[in-house]
Amino acid sequence: MDSVVLLQRQLVDYTAQLFNEGFLDDQFNQLQQLQDESNPDFVVEVVTLFFEDSERLLNELAKALEQQSIDYRKIDAHVHQLKGSSSSIGAQRVQKVCIAFRNYCEERNIEGCQKCLQQVKNEYSLVKTKLETLFKLEQQVLAAGGSIPWPM
Amino acid sequence: MATLQRVASSLSTSASSYGSCKDAGADVTVSDQFPAGLRVLVVDDDITCLRLLEKMLCRCLYHDGTDTTNRERGFYREGVTTCSQATAALKLLRERKGYFDVVLSDVHMPDMDGFKLLELVGLEMDLPVIMMSADGRTSAVMRGIRHGACDYLIKPIREEELKNIWQHVIRKKWNENKEQEHSGSFEDNDCYKQGNDDIENASSVNEGGEEGVLKGQKKRNIAKEEDDNELENDDPSASKKPRVVWSVELHQQFVCAVNQLGIDSTIFNDPLFLIARKLSLRVTVSFAQRNFLATISEAVPKRILELMNVPGLTRENVASHLQKFRLYLKRLSGVAQQGGISNTFCGLMDSNVKVNPFGRFDIQTLDASGQIPPQTLAALHAELFGRPTGSLVTTVDQPALLQASMQGLKCIPVEHGVAFGQPLVKCQSNISKHFPRNVISFEDVASGFGAWPSNSVGTVGPSSNLGGMNGQNSNMLMDILQQQKQQQQSQQQSPLSEPSRSINVQPSCLVVPSQSSATFQAGNSPASVDHNCSYNRSAMIDYSLLSPQLNNSSLNIGQISNGDLKTTGVSGYSGSVSITPLSPCSVNPDNTSQQGRSSTMAIQVGRQLPGFVPNISNFQGSYSAKSSEVLDQRPLRNLGFVGKCTSIPSRLAVDEFESTMSNLDHEKIYMDISGNKVKQEPSIEFVDNARVGIPILQQLPPSPSDLMSVFTE
Repeated sequence: MDSVVLLQRQLVDYTAQLFNEGFLDDQFNQLQQLQDESNPDFVVEVVTLFFEDSERLLNELAKALEQQSIDYRKIDAHVHQLKGSSSSIGAQRVQKVCIAFRNYCEERNIEGCQKCLQQVKNEYSLVKTKLETLFKLEQQVLAAGGSIPWPM
Repeated sequence: MATLQRVASSLSTSASSYGSCKDAGADVTVSDQFPAGLRVLVVDDDITCLRLLEKMLCRCLYHDGTDTTNRERGFYREGVTTCSQATAALKLLRERKGYFDVVLSDVHMPDMDGFKLLELVGLEMDLPVIMMSADGRTSAVMRGIRHGACDYLIKPIREEELKNIWQHVIRKKWNENKEQEHSGSFEDNDCYKQGNDDIENASSVNEGGEEGVLKGQKKRNIAKEEDDNELENDDPSASKKPRVVWSVELHQQFVCAVNQLGIDSTIFNDPLFLIARKLSLRVTVSFAQRNFLATISEAVPKRILELMNVPGLTRENVASHLQKFRLYLKRLSGVAQQGGISNTFCGLMDSNVKVNPFGRFDIQTLDASGQIPPQTLAALHAELFGRPTGSLVTTVDQPALLQASMQGLKCIPVEHGVAFGQPLVKCQSNISKHFPRNVISFEDVASGFGAWPSNSVGTVGPSSNLGGMNGQNSNMLMDILQQQKQQQQSQQQSPLSEPSRSINVQPSCLVVPSQSSATFQAGNSPASVDHNCSYNRSAMIDYSLLSPQLNNSSLNIGQISNGDLKTTGVSGYSGSVSITPLSPCSVNPDNTSQQGRSSTMAIQVGRQLPGFVPNISNFQGSYSAKSSEVLDQRPLRNLGFVGKCTSIPSRLAVDEFESTMSNLDHEKIYMDISGNKVKQEPSIEFVDNARVGIPILQQLPPSPSDLMSVFTE
């Protein structure tokens, strides 16, 4: 039981940290609230979808920016979508970079776009790592017989 | 709350009656927050969001604890359907008409613009649509409002926001109920279709005399079910009145009325119009559109309502529909350039609504290129509406025409020899000239057909009658179309112009193109049409063929008497005078090409033969509406233009209209509505349709979908 409590404490702390650092926002709470007995893996499921979709979008973006003649509209569409999905799961920092990215797109500022692409890739890997760690912790809690203290 | 409960229960009831196994509504106590049983369709290309929304909505639909049983049974997902593609969503909506209560759609999607989907859903199914987007700029939200969205949600969406979406469903229903004087007059179809125990409603359907209109509607009549418990009609607060479903026929009537109002007041007197006509100039779409829109502005809901004369329809119904229509027209104007929105013309499918038996023609202007831009159709339509011959309203805006056609040719009041204005739109000059003459002078044919003006002048195209005249109109239209064609071809077959209706418009027959300068005589089969009109000829023939079909297949708008058609060759397709793009007048009896196309378009702007074609397409359209199914197999193909639409304007049109309408979209997809997928060839190409053989018409199964295809455009 101690271990469970310890693990739970760890989980809670880690989650709070993510919120504090701006990696996650309230929308993530919404996600957690949607998880229930009928859908015990809902959060993991949705976040996994997000990962897949984002990776695809990031690839597309990289390709688009490498073109000779850049199609800003397409880039904007991709960024818009990335912004939408990241905001849906609460990946706040990714979303913020997307906003800046879109602005550069409108200005047709290629350097700005490339810089943003790099930034968004970084933020994405960061949040991905953090969420994966979070899920692992959750698993540990559950494995130890505890329950996940959502919502926080 | 009581009301809410009622609504909720009705929803659930309707759901059950609909056949779904979902019995959530029945079991769940009406929560005071969200009516269980609400069926939501979510469309978003972002799967992350889609999954999220699905989950949130499921939770909303079933309040915690209230639907445990359902959840256990796995029903908790029943209320929400998700789609990651707009096209798939549209298909789903069409296939299961009446099943969904509300649609949530993302704005930015790769295969189709969210706003376009919004418009289509609004026009075809009249469902509340809520837009979503990560773009929260005021301009974006404004766009949503302008397109008719019930609400605009900004991502990320919270569950609380979704909890309120039911209000849009209720509001819409209540508004419709209030508007209705007689409850259930429109829903009748739904009612009895669903085995509604509301017998009254069912019977009222017949009273309305809109046999086809309501029957076709597959929409779930939620309201009806709600009325189970109480008398419908009277209690607006009950808001049980079922929402008015704008079936193809009904819409045709609407269009007719609008055209009539608009045209009467403006177009014909427009000097530009007259000049263009005189010079046989092509009227650009934009002009027509502008004109049309201008005329539309004169069409006020009250007057439209009066003209339509549909029992149970309220001014509010008409007003909201008019608003949508305007949006649609605007959109079409952009599309029209592309070649005739045949879809719009499907309107010809006229429902059997007995509103003016003579209806107006839906003049489908054939444009020289064979395409009848919607505007032309509209113009034609206008012409048909009673404009004195000679006033070719060529520029009839297609949308108008479509509308008219949509409404079923019935609307077209056939007044004395309406000269359809010639479809100025791109019509060849010749045709345009003649057009007015031929314009079918609709006389009130007792048969309901409205006498086709025998102007055979080959009025090209505007078979104006398409619209509501079931049968009759169709004939008229056909005639008109034919006439047009003839005109084009023969340039003058002026001799035809005499109003004597060479086209024997048989009551219900398809418009016999015979008008075309005398050659057409109704009855005469197209063969008489000289080659110039090639179209005519074919048109004629087709029509006749069609007519019989029409009658049979219920496609017809009304009652197309088969027999008559035969002789005349041109059967009035009452419904669907779709202006199908007429191909350069060569009316070849083999229009086969048409088939499939335009199935729904009653008024297809066809590229059809320059002169005539429109008719054919119309037929197709009308038929298509009717029978989307029919079309594909049918000889319609030969008709060429008809695409599906040739179906019958009559009631069939309603159902089919919808499906056809969608078909009009140049795609063959539509014909789903009735569940029959008619494989149609690109509907829009009516061209060459001249061939539309009548036989095809016959076959056309009433597929309202065709009619609706107009809108899908």
